[in-house]
Amino acid sequence: MNAHSHTDTPRHADRVGYALVSPYVVFFLLFVGYPLIFSFVLMFHRWNIVTPMEWIGLRNFERLLGDPLFYASITNTFIFLFVHIPLQLAAALGIAVLLNMNVRFRGFFRTLYFLPVVVSGVVVTILWQQLYAYDAGLLNRLMTALGAARIPWLVNPDIAMGSIAIMATWKNVGIYIVLFLAGLQNIPSELYESASLDGASPAARFFRITLPMLNPTVVVVLVLSTIGGFSLFIEPYVLTGGGPMQSTLSGVLYIYYQAFNFGHMGYAATLGFVLAVLVFAVVVLQRKSVETEGTV
Amino acid sequence: MKRGLLYAVLIAGAVVFAYPFLWMFASSLKPEAEIGGFGLWSSSAGFHNYAEVFSRIPIGRALFNSILTSTISTTSVIVFGSMVGYALARLNFRGRDGLYYLILFTMMVPFQVTLIPQYVLMVALGITDTYLAIVAPTLLSAFSIVLFRQFFRGIPQAFIDAARIDGCSEWTILRRIILPMARPVVVTVAILTFMTSWNEVLWPLIVVRERSLMTMPQLVTLFTIGGESEALLGLQLAAATLLALPIIVGYSFFQRSFIESMASAGIKG
Amino acid sequence: MCTFWKHVLRGTFSFLALSFVVLPGCREHSPDTAPVTDVVTLTYWPAPNPQEVAFADTIVRQWNRLHPRIQVRMQSIPVSVSTEEVLLAAIAGGTTPDICSNIWPGALHEYTRAGGLLRLDRFADFDSVARSRTPDPLLQTFRSPDGGFHQMPWKTNPVMMFYNRTLFEESGVELAPRTYSEYFAAAQKLTRDRNGDGIIDVWAGERDIRPIWWQRLFDVFPFTIAASGGRTLFEQGEPAFATPATEGVFAFFQRCYAEGYYPHTYFAGGDPFILEKKATQFSGPYLVATLQSLAPRLRFGVVPLPVPDDHTGPVHTYGDYKNIAIFTTTRYPAEAWEFVKFMVDARQDLLLLTVANQLPVRGDLLTNRMFAPYFEKNPMIRSFAEQVPYTRGVDAAPDLKELFDALSQEYESCAVYGRKTPSQAVLDAQERIRAIVDWNR
Repeated sequence: MNAHSHTDTPRHADRVGYALVSPYVVFFLLFVGYPLIFSFVLMFHRWNIVTPMEWIGLRNFERLLGDPLFYASITNTFIFLFVHIPLQLAAALGIAVLLNMNVRFRGFFRTLYFLPVVVSGVVVTILWQQLYAYDAGLLNRLMTALGAARIPWLVNPDIAMGSIAIMATWKNVGIYIVLFLAGLQNIPSELYESASLDGASPAARFFRITLPMLNPTVVVVLVLSTIGGFSLFIEPYVLTGGGPMQSTLSGVLYIYYQAFNFGHMGYAATLGFVLAVLVFAVVVLQRKSVETEGTV
Repeated sequence: MKRGLLYAVLIAGAVVFAYPFLWMFASSLKPEAEIGGFGLWSSSAGFHNYAEVFSRIPIGRALFNSILTSTISTTSVIVFGSMVGYALARLNFRGRDGLYYLILFTMMVPFQVTLIPQYVLMVALGITDTYLAIVAPTLLSAFSIVLFRQFFRGIPQAFIDAARIDGCSEWTILRRIILPMARPVVVTVAILTFMTSWNEVLWPLIVVRERSLMTMPQLVTLFTIGGESEALLGLQLAAATLLALPIIVGYSFFQRSFIESMASAGIKG
Repeated sequence: MCTFWKHVLRGTFSFLALSFVVLPGCREHSPDTAPVTDVVTLTYWPAPNPQEVAFADTIVRQWNRLHPRIQVRMQSIPVSVSTEEVLLAAIAGGTTPDICSNIWPGALHEYTRAGGLLRLDRFADFDSVARSRTPDPLLQTFRSPDGGFHQMPWKTNPVMMFYNRTLFEESGVELAPRTYSEYFAAAQKLTRDRNGDGIIDVWAGERDIRPIWWQRLFDVFPFTIAASGGRTLFEQGEPAFATPATEGVFAFFQRCYAEGYYPHTYFAGGDPFILEKKATQFSGPYLVATLQSLAPRLRFGVVPLPVPDDHTGPVHTYGDYKNIAIFTTTRYPAEAWEFVKFMVDARQDLLLLTVANQLPVRGDLLTNRMFAPYFEKNPMIRSFAEQVPYTRGVDAAPDLKELFDALSQEYESCAVYGRKTPSQAVLDAQERIRAIVDWNR
C-alpha cells in the first residue's frame, strides 16, 4: 500500500495524520506508556511516595508469595466468579428468552431491567447494604415473613462474597439481557422452523439452536463478568471493607489498601501486575474453552 | 394461561429491579424509626433527611464538580477521539496501522497495572486535589477512538473527496462534514464517557482529599462509610437518592440511547 | 505546509481551552505567597472532633487577641478515613499546615521519614518547656530514632472500662469486674432481654466486628498491656507478643462472642453504649464528656481494664497519645513555636481539661492546685489521671497501621468467628507482623 497515494505533497498526509493523532500519542505516553514502564520499575522498589524510593530487588514478589491476603483476594475473586457467572448467564438468558416471546411493553420491561445498570455502583451498594442488613434488612424481613430463618448475608464469611455476587448480578444483568436479546433476534427463524418440522421439542431447539447461536454473546458475558470480577472495588469497600475474615477482600481493594492505607506503592504495583497477568490468563483460557465448544 | 404466567414472571422481574429504588426513595423521606418496613407510604414523610444531608456535606458543590468533570471528559473524548478516529480511518500516514494495533492493545491492559503509576504521575505533576487530576486519565479513551474509527470508515469517500477539492482542511472536513454525519456514534461515545466518568469512584478517592473538590459518588461514599452519617439510614438513603437522581432523570428521557450505548460497550469484548 | 501548522495550533488551542476550564481548581491550592503586610498567618489543624475544635477555637481566639501580628487560622483536618492518611498525603503534596495537634506517635516514624516534621529541640527553650511539663522518663519515650524531638507530648487518653450503673444494678451485679472471671460472671447476668420481647437487647459489651485496625487500640492492645504488666507488641525491635498473656486476651474475647455476651452484628443507628444496649465500653476520658452531653441520664462508672485472675500489681493500659508538631513547610518556625508553647501552658492545659475532658501529659496533674477544682468537680476524670503513670504508648515500628491490621484480622478469625484457637491466632499474627517488619528492613 502506498501511503502517499492521493495527497498533494509527499509528506503532507503524514503531517496531517500525525497532527490529528498527536493528542492520543500524548495521552498514551502519559497514561499508558509511562505507567506501564513505571509499574515495572516500582515492582522492585519499596516506596511510600513521600520518602525516596528504595531498591529491594525481588522482595515484593517474595512477600506476595507468602502473603495470606494476596491468596485470599484471589480465592475470593474466584468464589465471586463461581457464583456470579452462572447466575448472570442464567438470569440474562432466561429473561431475554421471555422478552423475545412477542411480549407487549417489551421496551418498558427492558427499561426497568436496565435501570440498575445506569445507576452508580455507590447507590446500588448503599441500597443493598440496607437490603442485606441482618436484623432489620428488607430481605431478612421478607425471610421472617415467609417463616424462614434470617440469612447472615454479609456477616457470615462463608456467604458474604456470594451475597456480593448476587448484588453484582442484579446490577449488571440488564446489559446482558440486551445483548442476549440482540443475539436472539439475529437467529434466523428458518432454523427454528426446520427444527420444528423435524419434530424437535422446544428444549431441544433451545439447546441445539439457541445456545450455539448465542455462543459469541456467551463469550462476551463470560469475559466481561470475569474482568468485572477482577475489578471489584466499591462494593466490598462500602459494604464490608473486605471482611468478614477477609472473605470479601477483592484484588483491587487489597491494592487500594496497600497503596493508600499503608503507602506501599511498590508492593501495590506488584499486586496489580500479578493480578493483571491473572485476569489475562483467565480470559484467554475461557475464550479458548468456550469458543471451541461452540464450533464443535 | 401460558401468557399470563409469562407476564407474571416479567412483572415479578420488574418489581425485583425497580422496587428497591422506589423503596430507597420512599425510605429517604421517612423518619429514621420507620425505615425498614416494606411500605412506601409514611404519614410523617418529608424532606428532613435531605435538609440534613445538605447541612452536613457540600453535596451541591459535589454535584457541580461531578457535572463539571464529566462534561470536560466527555467533551475531550469527543473532540480528541474523533480527531484520532478520523485520522486512523481516513488518512494514510506512516505508522497508522501500528498505532491502531497499539490502541487495541491498550484496551487489553487491565487498569490494575496502571492505577498506581497514574496516581504517582499525579503526585509528580503536583496536581493531586485538582479537577485536572480527576479528569486527566479520562481525557481520551481507546474505546471511543475505535468506535469513531469504525463509524468513519463507513462514510463514503466521495464526501471527503468533494470537500478536499473545495480546499477544506482535514480539520474542517472532520468538523463540518464527518461529525454531523456521525451523530449516532457521538451520542454513544458521549453517553458512555459521561456515565463512566459520573460513576467513577476509585480514581477520585485516590487523587482528591479536599472536600470541596470531591465528586458526588466519592462524597456520598465517604459520607456513608465515614462517621458523618452516624450510620443513620435515612441520611445515607437520601444521599444515595440524590446521587442516583440526575442519571435516572437522564435515563428516563433517553432510555433507548442509554441502552444501546451501554450494550455496544459490552460488545467490544 | 500551512495546514499542518493550523492543525497543530488548533490542537494546542483546544487543549489550552480545556486546561483553562480545569486550571482554576489547581490555583486555589497552590501555596500562598508571602503576604506583603507584616502580619504572619499560621495555620493550625486540631483533631476534627467537636470538643477539640471547641478547645482549639477558644485558644486560637485568645492567642489572636494577644498577638495581633501573629494570627492563627484554625482549620479542622479534612475529613477522610483517618488523620494519619490526611497528614501523609498533605506531606506528600506539600500542603501541610504550620501546626497540628493530632499527631499520633505511632505514625511519627512515617512523618519524619518523609521529612514532614520540624525538629523541635532546635529551639533553645524546648528542653526547659518540655521538662517543666512532662516528667523526664516519660518525655524520653517520645524521642525519635535520630535522637531528636519531633513532637511535643501533649495529651493522653488512658483506656479504661466504662460501665453502665443502671444496667449493672438491674442485673444484680454489684461490683465492677476486675478480672476475667468476674467479667464473665457479670456478663452472664448483663446479657439479657430487657424489654421482654424474646430477643436479646442488652449485651455485656460490644466491639465493632469489622477488623478495623485502630479498634485494637481499645481492646486487644490495652488488654495485652494490662495482662502482661505493661509490655507492648515489640521487644528490642522484634515482635514478641506470642505470649500466654496475649493468648489469654484472645481467649477472653473469643469467649465473650462464643457465649453471646458480645453481639455478632454490626450496630447501625448510634453508639450502643449511649443507647444502653451494652453494659461495658473500653474508652478514653473523652467519652465522659460525650456521655454527659448526649446521654445526661446515663449513670456510669469507670474502672481499670479487667485482667487475668492471677494478676498482681497495678493495672497498666494503653494511652492514646496525641502530640503537637510543627511541619517543615512552615515559613514561620519561630512564630509557630511560640504558639506551641502557648498551647502547652498550664492555663491552656486547664482549658483542655475543662473544654475537652482530655488529660495533658503533665507531671503535676494531680498536685498542681490550678487543676484541683477541676478534678473535684470531675471525679470521673480523676480516675483517668490516676492511670497516667501506668500508661504505655504504641511501639515505634514502621507500618504500625498495617501491623495492627494483621493483628485485627487474626483477632477477628479467633474471637469474632471462633475459627482459630487463641494460640494459633496469636502465633499467626506474630508471623504476619514479622513478615511485614522484615519486608520493611
